[in-house]
Amino acid sequence: MKVLVIEDEIALKDSIVAYLKQEGYTCDAATDYSSALLKTASHTYACVVVDLTLPGGNGLNIVRSLKENNADTGIIIISAKNALDDKITGLEVGADDYLTKPFHLSELNARVKSVLRRRNFNGQKVLRVGEVEVQPDAAEASVAGKQLTLTRKEYELLLYFVSNRNRVLTKESIAEYLWGDHIEMLDSLDFVYTHIKNLRRKIIEAGGQDYIQTVYGLGYKFTSP
Amino acid sequence: MRVLTKTSLYYLLVSLVVFAVGGTVFYLSLREEIYDEVDDQLFTDKENIIAYIQKHDRLPNVTSGISEAIHVREADPENLVMEHLSDTLIYSTYDEEDIPFRKLTFTAYRQGKPYEYTIFKSLMDFDDLTESTVLAMIWIFLLLLIGLVFVNYYTNKYTWRHFYDTLARIKEYRLSHHQPLTLKESSTTEFEELNQVLQSMTGKIHSDFLNLKEFTENVSHEIQTPLAIVNSKIELFMQSENLTEEQAQMLSDMYGALNRLARLNKSLILLTRIENREFTAEEQVPLHRLLQEQLTHLQEIISMRGLELEVEQMEEVYVQMNSGLTDVLLQNLLNNAIKHNHPGGSIKVLLNRQKLCIRNTGEAPQDQPEKLFGRFRTGDDAVGSLGIGLALVKKICDLYGLLPKYNFKDGEHSLCIYFTK
Repeated sequence: MKVLVIEDEIALKDSIVAYLKQEGYTCDAATDYSSALLKTASHTYACVVVDLTLPGGNGLNIVRSLKENNADTGIIIISAKNALDDKITGLEVGADDYLTKPFHLSELNARVKSVLRRRNFNGQKVLRVGEVEVQPDAAEASVAGKQLTLTRKEYELLLYFVSNRNRVLTKESIAEYLWGDHIEMLDSLDFVYTHIKNLRRKIIEAGGQDYIQTVYGLGYKFTSP
Repeated sequence: MRVLTKTSLYYLLVSLVVFAVGGTVFYLSLREEIYDEVDDQLFTDKENIIAYIQKHDRLPNVTSGISEAIHVREADPENLVMEHLSDTLIYSTYDEEDIPFRKLTFTAYRQGKPYEYTIFKSLMDFDDLTESTVLAMIWIFLLLLIGLVFVNYYTNKYTWRHFYDTLARIKEYRLSHHQPLTLKESSTTEFEELNQVLQSMTGKIHSDFLNLKEFTENVSHEIQTPLAIVNSKIELFMQSENLTEEQAQMLSDMYGALNRLARLNKSLILLTRIENREFTAEEQVPLHRLLQEQLTHLQEIISMRGLELEVEQMEEVYVQMNSGLTDVLLQNLLNNAIKHNHPGGSIKVLLNRQKLCIRNTGEAPQDQPEKLFGRFRTGDDAVGSLGIGLALVKKICDLYGLLPKYNFKDGEHSLCIYFTK
């Protein structure tokens, strides 16, 4: 599965590419407008991650041309422009998602996965880690075939974990994923802990193993033991 | 005191002094003149009387027309009054009052015997004259005064009108409105100079303000990318398998600080953008629906903190606003109510056509209420809070002409937004 990362900041591009590669995607990268246009014209990508401010042109034009020529490609805009209305413009033009810089790589990864899933690229309707299965279409999860009764937030948390399996997820990124980025909620990190505790308990009660590891002070990791 | 009142008062004071001094001098010189005249008449009478005596060898009678009144008596040879002028009062039965007279006493010899003559002249005319003069003076004074004050007031008002116009415009001038200060031209040199100085000064301030703002804006935007880079690198670093606990802790601290910086920067950018009036898309926003959404969104956090949410009233309210900003406004209000609360406390929400009120229990504020809307103001209990939430609320309210009011009573904070201007 090919993913194109269009980002003019080389250091950031490298990070994104490194993270996505570990997920098993084939990553291409472009650092300016013209080479990005060239790449999108000559290859077909499952997903394109595009920065809006590029040397040589506006990323929105790339989104438009992708929509015209490769309507199946999933598009995620990443932009330093933290604007409520830019977000809307981006989505109106046809992007699937919008992330403002700075963002968490794990969040970007989850969104890429979600876009690919919605666009039906990998045909994989079920996310599976060990005995845990998540069916995003039905918003359901099960452990060893046994249905889990989760709250909405617990389900989202599980989805986030499963999308980023074997990755260290910080409490901050989890909080942002669950409550949105303008929630300046101080105690949200404690809430993250509570949710994780509940989710862990529910999985274990359903007969699953303890998938959620605590990684020092960093955060949590969802791994098949 | 206004300039007009002040100059009018000065005029009044000066004219009072001038009239007092002028009136006194006028009165004194008039008196002098009249006394001179009366004395002259008395002396003429005296000459006439002496001439009459010499001619007729008898006293002239009253009807002879020489004098108004003549009083004659034999003089005491020991104590002769040769010539003496003085004032006296004589009671008039007709007027029933004392009437001032000028009298001349002198001694004349008839047939070798001294006789003391006293002749009188009434000063009644003089009194009348003084009276009418003073009256006339008062009238002139009053008329002049009224005239002076009126003329002064209106000419001043006319010449100062540009000044007051300038003053009113400066009062209304707001840097953030980006309207240049336009002042009316004045034919008065001083005011014209004032206008020019003001215009060039505000122009300079405005351009400095714009530069500064542009700088802040650019810095904020430019910071986003390095933040994103550092953030991503730390995140990749965290994925390393063989981190020691110490290293992990350091990474975690860096990551936390970086996230705080990123949030702060985002808020600052939002604040600047609101100031720049970049959110132009307005629509009829269903406030009740957005509020309900936010409450649902926050319900979990509210109950996890052991707070009780009570919706007292929820009317259908539509406001003409940008929907994104409306969300920011509601989020910040509710976040604030949750943040500055204590476990087991409550949050009360009230929305009707007049106002949106959010009341919450909490510690008494340490700051003055009006300072709460400033940037970086936080209560002590809210550790890690950026203190920018209420500044955002204030900015959004300013933008849409809403009136935010804060109150603390009986252990309850109340923040109301009034929709009517």
